[in-house]
Amino acid sequence: MTVTISEFFKESANWAFLAIAVPTLFAGWRTVTSNNIVRAVLYLVVSLGGTAGLFFMLGAEFVGWTVVLVYIGAVIILFLIGIMITRAPLGQEADLSHAMNVKAPAALLSTVVFGVITWAMIDAFGNNMIPPFEPTATSDLSLLLFDRFVIPFEVVSFVLLAALIGGIAIARQDEEVVS
Amino acid sequence: MLNQYYGDYLTVALFIAVGAILVGGAVGASKLLAPKNPGGFKDVAYESGIEPVGGGWNQSHIRYYIFALMFLIFDVEAVFIFPWAITLDAFQAAGRGVFILVEMFLFILILLSGLLYAIRKGVLKWE
Amino acid sequence: MDAIDYHALLPEIILAVTVLATLLVDLFTSRKSFAAITAMIGMFASFVAILTLAFCDNLTFCTSTGDRVLFGGSFVVDGYAIVLQGLFIFAGFIVVLMSVGYLETDRYYEGEFYFLIVSAVLGAAVMASSRDFISMIVALEIVSGSGFLLAGWRKGDARSNEASLKFFIIGVLALALLLFGVSLIYGLTGTQVFSEIAAASSSVEDIALFNLGAIFVLLGFGFKVSAVPFHFWTPDVYEGSPPPVTAWLSVGSKGAGFVGLLSVCYLALPSVTEIWGPVLWLVAALSMTIGNIVAIKQTNVIRLLGYSSIAQAGFMLAPFGAAAATGADLSQTFSATVTYLVIYAVMNLGAFAVVIIVGTRVGSYELERWSGLNTWAPGLALSLAAFFMSLAGIPPLAGWFAKFVMFSATIGVGSWWGYSIAIVAALNAVIALVYYLKVLKSAFFDTVPADLDVATLEAGTVPGPTSFAIGLTAAAVLVLGIFPGLAANLGDFSSDFLATLGL
Repeated sequence: MTVTISEFFKESANWAFLAIAVPTLFAGWRTVTSNNIVRAVLYLVVSLGGTAGLFFMLGAEFVGWTVVLVYIGAVIILFLIGIMITRAPLGQEADLSHAMNVKAPAALLSTVVFGVITWAMIDAFGNNMIPPFEPTATSDLSLLLFDRFVIPFEVVSFVLLAALIGGIAIARQDEEVVS
Repeated sequence: MLNQYYGDYLTVALFIAVGAILVGGAVGASKLLAPKNPGGFKDVAYESGIEPVGGGWNQSHIRYYIFALMFLIFDVEAVFIFPWAITLDAFQAAGRGVFILVEMFLFILILLSGLLYAIRKGVLKWE
Repeated sequence: MDAIDYHALLPEIILAVTVLATLLVDLFTSRKSFAAITAMIGMFASFVAILTLAFCDNLTFCTSTGDRVLFGGSFVVDGYAIVLQGLFIFAGFIVVLMSVGYLETDRYYEGEFYFLIVSAVLGAAVMASSRDFISMIVALEIVSGSGFLLAGWRKGDARSNEASLKFFIIGVLALALLLFGVSLIYGLTGTQVFSEIAAASSSVEDIALFNLGAIFVLLGFGFKVSAVPFHFWTPDVYEGSPPPVTAWLSVGSKGAGFVGLLSVCYLALPSVTEIWGPVLWLVAALSMTIGNIVAIKQTNVIRLLGYSSIAQAGFMLAPFGAAAATGADLSQTFSATVTYLVIYAVMNLGAFAVVIIVGTRVGSYELERWSGLNTWAPGLALSLAAFFMSLAGIPPLAGWFAKFVMFSATIGVGSWWGYSIAIVAALNAVIALVYYLKVLKSAFFDTVPADLDVATLEAGTVPGPTSFAIGLTAAAVLVLGIFPGLAANLGDFSSDFLATLGL
């Protein structure tokens, strides 16, 4: 089933989608263009919040809340502290832009990649309507996670452990190293 | 089912909107009503009545980073515990309660060894 | 769900226990070498467990026969998994051996270093058995993550910091591309499991988005195996990292990338070789040519080995390119890559072990400082010659057989896809000879730099563990070169399962 533009705007879910997607895009744009690195991080919060909202709209509750808890709750904190431990002049506007000879090819590359992905998406899905779907119950997800995917689940704890210990080893002060 | 689900989140969205209106209204009203007399010492940061020295942004000690890192790692761990908790019953009913219990026990144990490492190496000490 | 076959999981379980044991031993003992010993005992035990899986038919306590399929096809222990897991554990073992002597020369954290190496081995071993995208990516994260950290292990050295940062940013970009590609494939086929994607792929191969997803996945692994044009990080990271870490990155981390490519191409997308074949043909040709040509100009031995490893990745990718031909015998191209990977791993590890010893003794990895190596350390010079000539593919050292298998597989497909890549490979094999022999000429025929004191150099000793590592790899290079049937068996053993898929 296909959708026309007037039908698109009749659907209230599409208005909700636009209300989330447009600020998300804007915040993403400002994250990259902002000249103040702390502001860029705060724009990223908005962008991630919007992403979580889109997951909620798709019925992926668990993923949405994971984005809120892990990304907005913890990764952003890590970003801010990571910025604060550097010697960079903070809270000031600084010209973070690259020279044109770096910017132009990067802009070209991203435009081409964007164009290719957009074209392929439209080619694959066109203006088809999303078929009706049920929200994913978290219990269904966990039945899979703790049964079929038990190996990756346990491996995740090793990923986290390696990150924790390696991170501490790199970040900690060296005075007590035994040579 | 889907409408019920969206309805639930619509309530959440409403609460957020009402909260925003209340706060915005209060701040906006005070902005409109309050007398204004800017300038002078009013722009100086408040530091327990002592004159502030230096800028507001200072380089922080790297040990904060280790705390943030540990927070992130254990936050991710917590995210895995939620779905685990809601399926305990289902696994118990299927006679595999011990399996899922041991599974999460190992998961937490592996990460606890990271905490043990941090304690033994003294990076959590606050001098 | 069926009961879990714990024997099939035994190598991973032993490695997981070893990871924790290495950490705890380091925390609660004062001697630094205990952690290394724990790591080596654990990896050896895990290797034994793999042998019991490989020779299951001849063992009385082992009742299971054939491939072991666990968790609904997500985790499979077959010949391919066994060969690659054995390879990763061997590589980890050798890297720990060569690290023991090296780490003592400077102020390094040792326990954490061994912990991260064993973690990476665990991740690579799980990757080899993974048959769905979720397991594979989670396992890949350990291999990558510990690589980023280990690259920056020389904390006070700006070049090491740079290596770590560069590796991290490019590695994360690669992972992001990979995940994006996986999400597209998952969205269009509705499954994460390789065998189910294989069944569904021919019905969606006409959709451009599916092709795009497959190409993104290839790009993601292309970074990992440092193939041109995704190779820019390789020389800088190799040069900046501590050399034992470089040895691991060039063998273990790269091997993990090849496991990803092999699994995705031959297990998930075997019916759509027209998608990945031409892409990898181009990548292989570029990697060989650019890697070799740039390597000629290098004056630093580690950078030279970096470019050499780019070129070697090209040789390993050549059979993938040949598989683009319609009706190609995929099991032959598959086993050619696996055989090449096994032999490359052994000879490259050996080369790094020698390079680390000589570099530490001379105090530099610049080739001009190495001249006259033969006069003060004939044994080291001889082993250096063995490994470099093997890398160049000179018989009777193992490298010749790797090249032989690669050529016979590419020519064997009987199509221009194969002939053309074989011609490119042949030209490159000749170019490669130039820089491998340049190092040997300097080591054997040039005079020692005047400011180096020969007597001091002669008095230096090779740490026991490292000489054991050199001996082990040198023996393997000789045996595999003289009895190439062994390596061929490994390759065939690994590709047996492809026959059951009807390819």
